[in-house]
Amino acid sequence: MTHPETDIQDDEIRVIGHEDRATPEAAFGLRPSRRVWGWVAAIVAAVAAALLGWAMWGGVRAVDEAAHEGEEIGYFEPEAGGGAVDTVRRACEPLGREVDSLAAGFIEVRDTTVNDIPLRICIPHNAELTLHVGPVDRRDPGILYAAQAADIRRDNRKIVGAFVLRGEPLAWGLSKKGYCAVVDGRITIGVADNSPLFEQATERGGYFFRQYPLVSDGRLVENEPKNKSIRRALCDRQGEIMMVDCSTPESFHDFAQALVDLGVVNAIYLVGSTSYGWWVGEEGERQEFGVERSPIPKNTSYIVWRRR
Amino acid sequence: MAKHLLITTSNDLVRIAPDRIVYLSSDGNYSTLVQADGEMRMLSYQLGQIEKLIASQLGAEGKYFIRIGKSLIINRSYIYYINVPKQKLVLSDTASFSLTVTASREALKQLKELLEKEIQ
Repeated sequence: MTHPETDIQDDEIRVIGHEDRATPEAAFGLRPSRRVWGWVAAIVAAVAAALLGWAMWGGVRAVDEAAHEGEEIGYFEPEAGGGAVDTVRRACEPLGREVDSLAAGFIEVRDTTVNDIPLRICIPHNAELTLHVGPVDRRDPGILYAAQAADIRRDNRKIVGAFVLRGEPLAWGLSKKGYCAVVDGRITIGVADNSPLFEQATERGGYFFRQYPLVSDGRLVENEPKNKSIRRALCDRQGEIMMVDCSTPESFHDFAQALVDLGVVNAIYLVGSTSYGWWVGEEGERQEFGVERSPIPKNTSYIVWRRR
Repeated sequence: MAKHLLITTSNDLVRIAPDRIVYLSSDGNYSTLVQADGEMRMLSYQLGQIEKLIASQLGAEGKYFIRIGKSLIINRSYIYYINVPKQKLVLSDTASFSLTVTASREALKQLKELLEKEIQ
């Protein structure tokens, strides 16, 4: 039994009344009788071809090949889905595709809409997460993704919330309960007043910063600001780390709900609005977002994904 | 007489000519019907159920409607403008209304290709 609500993805279209995907034939609406005869002709042709093949190659070999038909997918150049960007799959499946661990690092970008909110999903491949304070060198070829991380205080321009840079604690505040820690290459996104990961990051040369929590254990976390803005988040979706932003101004609540519906388990906010950043795609193309400002406060911090 | 789409619940009934429907959007367990006269009507059906009603009641005329992702059914007659990078789709009769909806880039790309193929 199919469920029309769920058997279509946000990156698909379907002409109603036709079972096939949107094709020119479906769009023009072939008459049912013609379609039936078309199917009969196709089936007859397929059976005839199969019998001919059996006769030419021998039944045993044909059986053997049929048994292994499902394995004839290229390893190095798989043709899954004809290259279409199938964005949101079932919640338990990874959003990003499998990438050879020896391949050059890049950011896979997928677009979708959730609850009518257009979302851009950036999934790093063969990259490692670090933090950076101060202007990021746009010419650094090792950087695959950069976006502002922690906020800074309007009055003294110091970093808001605890912050550890390569093992060096730069700030200790607790005003925001969401955190991201990178310790020994392991990324943890969570919500806590106090986290031992702050100390671990300090002891092991790791990274730690705090931001608004958006999603905790798959549940929306409410936040005080109620205004609408371009939102960005660092997300953990079943172990898959990704950055998600919306291209329309949204409230914290609606954006966090969209992340929950996307299947995100834990997420914290990243500075949104017109904050500047970029990503580098698979072909090496560089896409910027936000508005670049100069000079920027010296404590402006960034999450930076670097090539492994 | 042209076919009408009939949407009934235990309490009410909506009967509307297909060409008066601009689009239907999903709102959780409900759907919103946006009409060419600017009226918006909340329907106590999920979008998938509306899709089934369109297919079963309108038959061949159902092909004027295109499901776009999980959240949208549009009347293709009113497609006026598609901008794939901006994820923007404008539905308009170029006279009395112009409504903008959003969809994923891939879906809009497919929609654009579909329309392009139809005129070939």
